[in-house]
Amino acid sequence: MNIQEILIFSENPDTLVELLTAGRTLFGPAGGRVTAVTIGPTTTEVARDCLVRGADQALVIQTGAASLPAENGLVLGLLEAIRATDPDTILIGATRTGTDVVAQLAQALEVPCASNCMKLRRDEDGNLEIERRVYGGRFTATQVLMGRPQIASIPPNRFPKADLVQEAHGSIKEVVVELPPPRIRVKATLPRVRSAVDVTKAEVIVAAGRGVKKVEDLSLLDTLASALGGVLAGTRPLTGDVDWLPIDRRVGLSGQTVKPNLYIACGISGQIEHIVGMKGARTVVAINNDPKAPIHAEADYSIIGDLYEIVPAFLDAYERTKRT
Amino acid sequence: MTGTSDTRPPNILVCVKFVPDPNQLQADASGHPDLARAPFRISTFDENAIEAALQLSTRHGGHIFGVSVTSGQVPPRDVLLRTLAMGVEVLYLIKDEARLAADPYRVAAVLAAAARAIQSAENIPSWDLVIAGEASADQFNAQIGPRVAMALDLPAIAYATKLELQHGRLIANRATDERSETLEVDLPALVTVGTEINQARMPTVLQVMGAARKPIREIVIEELPGIDLDALERRPSLRTIDISAPPSARKRIVIEGQDAAEMASHLLSRLGTDGEVKF
Ligand SMILES: Cc1cc2nc3c(=O)[nH]c(=O)nc-3n(C[C@H](O)[C@H](O)[C@H](O)COP(=O)(O)OP(=O)(O)OC[C@H]3O[C@@H](n4cnc5c(N)ncnc54)[C@H](O)[C@@H]3O)c2cc1C
Repeated sequence: MNIQEILIFSENPDTLVELLTAGRTLFGPAGGRVTAVTIGPTTTEVARDCLVRGADQALVIQTGAASLPAENGLVLGLLEAIRATDPDTILIGATRTGTDVVAQLAQALEVPCASNCMKLRRDEDGNLEIERRVYGGRFTATQVLMGRPQIASIPPNRFPKADLVQEAHGSIKEVVVELPPPRIRVKATLPRVRSAVDVTKAEVIVAAGRGVKKVEDLSLLDTLASALGGVLAGTRPLTGDVDWLPIDRRVGLSGQTVKPNLYIACGISGQIEHIVGMKGARTVVAINNDPKAPIHAEADYSIIGDLYEIVPAFLDAYERTKRT
Repeated sequence: MTGTSDTRPPNILVCVKFVPDPNQLQADASGHPDLARAPFRISTFDENAIEAALQLSTRHGGHIFGVSVTSGQVPPRDVLLRTLAMGVEVLYLIKDEARLAADPYRVAAVLAAAARAIQSAENIPSWDLVIAGEASADQFNAQIGPRVAMALDLPAIAYATKLELQHGRLIANRATDERSETLEVDLPALVTVGTEINQARMPTVLQVMGAARKPIREIVIEELPGIDLDALERRPSLRTIDISAPPSARKRIVIEGQDAAEMASHLLSRLGTDGEVKF
């Protein structure tokens, strides 16, 4: 078998160095090479960071534009990087932008792509074998990519960042790509509120669902989270339909995968797309006033009751016990 | 329908997938999905896609066509009719009994060919807008929308949260992980949507009855104009080798008590014993 040529890309610098770790796990018996791609101005720093973390090469695609090009521009940039390196495997960070880009890229190359892979390995034939969630996350599919190139996307926070190496050995190569004028014009842009905390690292999570009636009421659950040394997270309706919590606090299929010691689900029905994000919790508590809510089957301890009564009562009991 | 705005009445194509309802899908004794016993439904975000089309059409007139690739068995008629009851005018089914379109690359290639075939069969000068759900509720690949855009050479706006047509242009809000954006694009274009964009309507009894009179047009995939099945056969593939569910091992203890205070203190002592809450 030949040396595995692996190309990695994410517009998010943190995710990019996570992909570096993922890429290294896929080297074959003959070894491998990871090329990190960055696209757009002022990404040379990011490329350098990849090299000091052991990337074998960094390709900086300069597009002439003043900012990160739109998705289509990223696709054209990646096509250029693919021409330059002829990779066996391409790994892309499954942010929203990355998810969009990888699908367009794979269609341009007329090849499949495995989305949102939770696990990756090489099978005996050297093909990329992956595991991903299907049917809302209740099931795990094992799939094999065949042909070339083999493309997979990987969610952020799935792999640890690659460590710094003693001595960087790779070098930076610059490629200039002429992009056509963008078909999509940006009229206005607002940064989305990001959390100061990383829910994927939290040991205690109090999660809010639509059982919480008003945004102000979240402070009750926040108090509980703080008392227990934990953080507040939420379901999709609270992190998208309304922006009560930042989107990076969404737990579930289209959000974060968390693995706290304790997960307290308050006013959450327990649809499969949510459950899949918190399945790794050591202990799950559900507070829901509907005895038929599916969350109860996914909990170690259930209270069938009104969160507006149970949570204050729990905080009371906790403060009293702490004092004695 | 007649347009009441400065925008030409749009021709909208909505990509719809019928899926076994993930929330009603159980594992069989061997841990594999018991697909035969899960009811079909319109994939969640595709209902939002239909609703988004209906809202544009209410303002600007035009026509809404639905297209779906059905893999293996065709879903029950009442599930198909629901798209028409919601307001889709004609539903095209691309029947793929042999499951030739086995991965998103192939499905997108088929949908792109279908979009062209429907356009010519229905005498539509050009699609103005193609709308798809951001991801399907069963496979959750989140690939079809952007892939179809690439295959049809359309600009794509994924994760749209608001759509407006003005002077032949689409103004869309969308959210990436980092930013909320307002974007503008000349038609034709493709967008993908999720639950954030709207609340999909429940068809009324009258609409459900009326749906039976609307056309469902079937094309078997082998006869779809413009599709190169040999090429699809030869291209690299994505094969599923297993689908299984890990068993859930939760304790499932319901905490009893006279009132909130008692339940809360029972819960606390359980969590204290388990070492999950420290004092
Ligand atoms: C492809 C796809 C991806 C998705 N991804 C995600 C995801 O990543 N994360 C996610 O969370 N969802 C996701 N969803 C949505 C998911 O299907 C559910 O719609 C969502 O999780 C429901 O949120 P909820 O439990 O807060 O709301 P609801 O389902 O409305 O549940 C609210 C619950 O609160 C209870 N309740 C009401 N009042 C009280 C009270 N006073 N005290 C106690 N309990 C009360 C009710 O009994 C009910 O059970 C996805 C859906 C799809 C189709």
